[in-house]
Amino acid sequence: MPEFSVVGKSIIRVDALEKVTGKAVFCSDIKLPGMLHAKVLRSPYPHAKIVSIDTTKANQVPGVKCILTGKDVPEKRYGSTVRDATIIARDVVRAVGEAVAAVAAESVEAADKALGLIDVKYEQLPPMFDPEEAVGTKPPVTIHPDLFNYELASSFFKTGKLLEFDRPNVMMHFKIRRGEVVKGFEISDLVVENKFTTARAQQCPLELQVSIVQPEADGSLTLWMSSTMMHPARMDFSRLFDLPLSKVRVGQPYVGGSFGRSASRGEHPITMALALKTGRPVKHVYTREEMFYRAGNRIPFTVYIKDGIKKDGTLVARELKIILGGGGIGEFTVGLVAKNCAFAAVGTYRITNFKLDSYGVYTNNPVAAGFRGFGSGEVTFAIESQMDIVAEKLGMDPVEFRRKNILREGEPNVTGEITHSTGGAGCLNKVSEWIKSDEKFSLDGAWRRGKGIALANKYTLAPSTASARVEVTKEEGIVIYHGAEEVGQGCDTIMAQIVAEEFGVQVDEVRTAPKDTLHTPFDSGAYSSRQTYWSGNAVRLACVDAKEKILDKAGEIFGVHRDEVELKEGFVYPKRVPDKKIRIAEACDSFIGGRIVGNGNFVQEFAAEDPETGQIDPELAAEGKRLNSSYAHTAKGVEVAVNIETGEVKVLRCATANDMGFPINPKICEQQAEGGLGMGIGLGIYEEVLLKEGVIMNPNFTDYRMPTFCEFPELDKVKIMFAPVPHKDGPYGAKGFSEAAMVGMEAAIANAVYSAVGVRIKDLPITAEKVLKAIKGSKEIY
Amino acid sequence: MSQLIKLKINGVTKEVLIEPWWSLAYVLREVLNLSGTKVGCESGNCGACIVQLEGKAVNSCLLLAVKCKGKEITTIEGLKGKDGELHPLQKAFIEHFAVQCGYCTPGMIMAAKALLEEIPHPDEEDVRRELSGNLCRCTGYVKIVEAVLAAREATKTRS
Repeated sequence: MPEFSVVGKSIIRVDALEKVTGKAVFCSDIKLPGMLHAKVLRSPYPHAKIVSIDTTKANQVPGVKCILTGKDVPEKRYGSTVRDATIIARDVVRAVGEAVAAVAAESVEAADKALGLIDVKYEQLPPMFDPEEAVGTKPPVTIHPDLFNYELASSFFKTGKLLEFDRPNVMMHFKIRRGEVVKGFEISDLVVENKFTTARAQQCPLELQVSIVQPEADGSLTLWMSSTMMHPARMDFSRLFDLPLSKVRVGQPYVGGSFGRSASRGEHPITMALALKTGRPVKHVYTREEMFYRAGNRIPFTVYIKDGIKKDGTLVARELKIILGGGGIGEFTVGLVAKNCAFAAVGTYRITNFKLDSYGVYTNNPVAAGFRGFGSGEVTFAIESQMDIVAEKLGMDPVEFRRKNILREGEPNVTGEITHSTGGAGCLNKVSEWIKSDEKFSLDGAWRRGKGIALANKYTLAPSTASARVEVTKEEGIVIYHGAEEVGQGCDTIMAQIVAEEFGVQVDEVRTAPKDTLHTPFDSGAYSSRQTYWSGNAVRLACVDAKEKILDKAGEIFGVHRDEVELKEGFVYPKRVPDKKIRIAEACDSFIGGRIVGNGNFVQEFAAEDPETGQIDPELAAEGKRLNSSYAHTAKGVEVAVNIETGEVKVLRCATANDMGFPINPKICEQQAEGGLGMGIGLGIYEEVLLKEGVIMNPNFTDYRMPTFCEFPELDKVKIMFAPVPHKDGPYGAKGFSEAAMVGMEAAIANAVYSAVGVRIKDLPITAEKVLKAIKGSKEIY
Repeated sequence: MSQLIKLKINGVTKEVLIEPWWSLAYVLREVLNLSGTKVGCESGNCGACIVQLEGKAVNSCLLLAVKCKGKEITTIEGLKGKDGELHPLQKAFIEHFAVQCGYCTPGMIMAAKALLEEIPHPDEEDVRRELSGNLCRCTGYVKIVEAVLAAREATKTRS
């Protein structure tokens, strides 16, 4: 392993000073002269025809500048798989919370007042809320009768087999077929079938969703948004509004938490439409209630799992049927999650006979969207609960059972990808060692203690694109332009560390340019834990390019061949005469314009899957081409206390080991690991968006419980471990793991609860009510 | 009916023309441009808007500005010392990696400041209990607790 001076070290975060002083600019902090405020009127019904909309009275409210309804905005639709979302509903609403009209006014109060005066007449249609009903071939309701006429998003144009004519509410059916699953069950000694469900949850970023749009003199639009993926979003926006790409500019201030929701395009197009219509800047800030309706929601999953196992613990066959209960529109990401959730079942275990079907379906529930993990956590909850159930039936130690079936380096996984950089076994070893330790807790007589573990992975997707630029000048020093949005994950620090490492300088000598599509090279953005691997590689390549140019120039300056020049610790000098050293920036000064520009493009060929089998071409696989760019691996360990009188579950201590290839900043990795545990505790025990006839019963932080300081174990009861296995294509071997940090936690909790009180909760979250009911229903007495 | 009120903000008395229904958070952010104070829920649950009112931590989204007439308010912008030096809590949050997305950070630091002024030597349990009105979705709270505990001593010597 080469010695590094900056990467691998816990450098102080470059964004910390701004953030502790209140100077960091978030979208909600931006104000523009003459700015109008937007508000959206939302459907109160889960499924209804819009008969008429009368805006006469609303238009008379002083300060109201513009009211738009579905007929006033472009008819084009958007979405990352099937393009099903309109900017504002036309003719039919399919979920409570869907936009029906939008107002721009001089003040929020005026806009609010106008909303109350818009008269919408609806004719209610029969709603359908149950995803299992929706997924069938003869569903009672067809939510998008025109589904088969909708466009597919560009990335699905070619393979385009996501829809099925006999399942009218399915927006994505993803399949994996390997070996012969029926035969696999026949030759098994034990077959175990179970059904698991996960709850609709909220991402709960602390920042509210905001967009601000400034119409420019030349008819172009400048947008700032509290979402990510500024470059791909810009392409969607330009298509929606029929504007050339050059006429849509997206700026990206700090984002106050994402957790999957910010990969959606949200309702930013509404703000754009209002700005275009009024010619004035428009700002739209969600309320917390609107965040619950329109800024995401973890998609509720139903997972059927059937495993065939030999007596010796060999997993011979696995069949999965996964149903994702999306809302009335796929929003942006449900279809994508329906595909990508499958990889949770791909990256960890060796299974010869495998069959998977996952269905993203429409219901008339509020929209749901991508949530940290993009389905990995949900599918892992089923798999890792099942692994413990099977191990018990086999009479095997659950760690041993997992270890026996874990994928090893060089083995094909169930899509035919050749496994590389797999730290699963290392993670499992570390956590299983930790969990053997014993700690004293003072608990009264009603509490029972139990321990549980889980093993998991999270893919980082491919294909993807990342570009970056680094500019070096005498006056400005080193400035880096990269398009990985800072949502709290620390990517600005990681990128600055990479630049500092490459040039041999300190991190504080590197500055990060504000993110703006006007000057930031194309990068697919912050999602899929992809920034370290993709953006990091682009940044490193940009530095390599700049260094080549600097060496050429230094050779000229020193009158020696470039190979005779050394670049080290921010200086260049002839190898034989180190005393002649000059700063890199000085060498750049003698360039025309005094500037050296290094460009980096990271492109990686990937192997697309066959839409019928999910298999990649074996020849391409043998060449090392992959379906996903990398897999982060993780294990979780939890000790809980369960109160047998109340059913309450408390996490006493927890541990995680993570394989991120190489921790570029160990403290930032710890941050992700701890945050992942915290979120996992929330999703495992407390969090559920409650619905009644498509209406959210708890759309606020009073009734929706995310973990506070008091639900997380004490400092000395939390153990963060690393088990990195370098990735050959990652920068310094690194790969992203910010989603893996959370995945597996719910299953570890469920397994711990089982070990404490012998009840198996298969439906998240594991609330006191469910546990108590199960305890009372179980025959054993504790 | 609009009214002119005086607020002593970060040591400076300001006259502000307000509407009686405006919250303190609104006045700070929208009228006085002190956007370090964040708004996350407008229901007093998340603590992102916490400032000190006469030394006590308050959710400024729930408090009507008119109720603060003549009172002393400290926001995140008022935390730096006269010499421009960071407050020990700010330093500790940086050094202990207690900052991620940063949206909860100003409210978290203000709540912690009020806590350290009220309980001079809090233990871990005190910190958890007293800060439980501040939500953070990024961190799992570990490093925030560490930072607050680390700032205890330094805060004492400073005051």
